[in-house]
Amino acid sequence: MNPKVKPLTKHQIVDLTVLVALASLVVWYFVNARSASTHILNLILILPFTVLTLFLCLIQFICQLIRPSVEAPAVESVKSVLPVISLFAVYALTLPWLGFDVGTCLFVGAFLWFHGERRWPWIVGYSLSFASVVSLFFIAMLPYPMPMLVFPS
Amino acid sequence: MIDWSAVQEGLSLLFSSPSYWLIIIPGILIGLLFGAVPGLQISMAMAIFLPVTLYMNFMQAMLFLTSIFTGGSFGGSIPAILMNIPGTSSSIATSFDGYPMSRKGQHNTALGLALGSSCIGVLIGYGILFLLIGPISKLVLKMGPSEMAAIILWGITLIGTLSSGSMVKGVISGLIGLLLGTIGYSEAGVTRGTLGSPYLLDGIPAIPAMIGMFAASELFRLVNTKYLVEDAALRKVSIKAILAGFQKTIRYPWGIIRGSLIGVFIGSVPGVGSSIANLISYMVAKKQDADPESFGQGNPAGVVASESANSTSEAGSMATLLALGIPGGGATAVMLAAFAMHNITGGPQFIREETDIVYAIIFANFGQAVLLIGLGLLFLPLLANVVKVPMNYLVPSVLSLSVFGSFGLTGNMSGPITVMVFALVGWVFKRFDYSVPAAVVGILLGGMAEDSLIYTYQISGGQWSYLFERPATIAILLLLIVSLFGSSLLAVVTRAHNLRPTRESFSGSQKGANAQTKNRR
Repeated sequence: MNPKVKPLTKHQIVDLTVLVALASLVVWYFVNARSASTHILNLILILPFTVLTLFLCLIQFICQLIRPSVEAPAVESVKSVLPVISLFAVYALTLPWLGFDVGTCLFVGAFLWFHGERRWPWIVGYSLSFASVVSLFFIAMLPYPMPMLVFPS
Repeated sequence: MIDWSAVQEGLSLLFSSPSYWLIIIPGILIGLLFGAVPGLQISMAMAIFLPVTLYMNFMQAMLFLTSIFTGGSFGGSIPAILMNIPGTSSSIATSFDGYPMSRKGQHNTALGLALGSSCIGVLIGYGILFLLIGPISKLVLKMGPSEMAAIILWGITLIGTLSSGSMVKGVISGLIGLLLGTIGYSEAGVTRGTLGSPYLLDGIPAIPAMIGMFAASELFRLVNTKYLVEDAALRKVSIKAILAGFQKTIRYPWGIIRGSLIGVFIGSVPGVGSSIANLISYMVAKKQDADPESFGQGNPAGVVASESANSTSEAGSMATLLALGIPGGGATAVMLAAFAMHNITGGPQFIREETDIVYAIIFANFGQAVLLIGLGLLFLPLLANVVKVPMNYLVPSVLSLSVFGSFGLTGNMSGPITVMVFALVGWVFKRFDYSVPAAVVGILLGGMAEDSLIYTYQISGGQWSYLFERPATIAILLLLIVSLFGSSLLAVVTRAHNLRPTRESFSGSQKGANAQTKNRR
């Protein structure tokens, strides 16, 4: 009698996708390294470790298909994290144009607003003072210029 | 083994001027500050303040730089415990249990424990250095690239197998980290995996990647929480509780001794240093503990194991620097620069001719450990107040601080972008039970592992028989195999042992049954 095969949950499908993505990354890196040079010194670590990683990925893939992982209760939901990741990405990518001072001020202010802070004096006061103090500290400490819009770098 | 006349000269040199002691206090404070701010490294603090040592004599310069080192070794544990951001790579393992302790409201105890373990660790480490500087330097001379490659692989395997729910996923994480660590221009003169970006020629910036995977990804997970410590009653900052935590350190004598020995040994291996010593110490402590499952959930023994190892690794790297003139890591590399600035060359000749200075440095570090207790207790209550900050203020502030710090480390935009990319990677890894620590250590040591393998290949001429001439390499590789399959083998043996009496009783009853049948016949 065949046991009834349960369909994979969304979490288990994403788990398998992550595994396949990691295996693909390893394959891409090996192909890239091999195209650069096939000399033994170039592949002395990359070749054996690629083979080993792919072997382990295959084992894990089979294990996950036979015995799918049980989703652990996550503290955070994807829906609540994705906007934060997007905001952080925009902050990091726009720093060369906005500068660390203005970029940080806007990022901190926007984050506070999105996470429930509605007292404008607090939002403006904290984001301005935090961005100013940290920018001035790092300008003083670092031996090279930082991109800044207001403060002299 | 100990030159007692040099010991006497060293002590009289140390007490000949109060300036030697006065210089230690600002050094420790600088170290504490740089260690406690994520993104600012101990080596960075030492490099920034290196020009100041031009106005000092060699002894003062050494004491100033070692006090930054001592303060920084402990300072890194403060954000690791309070924010899950290892201030330095040597505090990675401190966050494993220190941060869960904070989330349970035991941040005061965790900070006290870290301070106690660090101070006792420094004392033990320099004690070992005092007794064994000769043998240690001889042992280090025997460590070749094959041993270094084996140590790195062992460390990553150990971390991978123990820091993830799934052993296979843990090892995959470590291996992927190692491969990512080799991106860029290699020792063989080939550029790989850079996607044409000049920023990646030197490889993935390891510390920003570490900040992203550990800190930023954790902050993403905490966006919906109100406070780091949910229970308001547990948010209190108490000097009494910090002191109690400090005193609690003595309840883990074996943990401190084991961590210290691992720290001195691993710290003395050039290049490996404290970044791996704390992880190996933590994993060994977890493996040997009666309740390994409690590690990662806020077990104080985890904090002790990590902090005792990272503090003693300072003494280990100093042994290599003083005895061989080889820096064990970034911080000792700056010290080597201080040697050069004062026209002094480290190595066997230095040990032989300047033994009094070597002993004076060792004794000054005993004093530094005691001063660290006072300064640490003074500043910890101030720094521990971070648990009272609401998360909607803490998260953007720490994320911004990580971005500033990562720029400080790389000097260009590759730092902040690395933090951003690896924050996402870390979040995915945590969500699907891959080992973040193994991946991070892999990235940190990937390049070094590859270089070690290249040197081993060049020395051996590609002959496998070379390995049989390196018993230490074989021993470390055996440890690696034991780390991978030891627990499974032990389980099989234990199961077989438990089954034996059942089989014996079964065969015994069979014999009895046969005898009864015979009698009937």
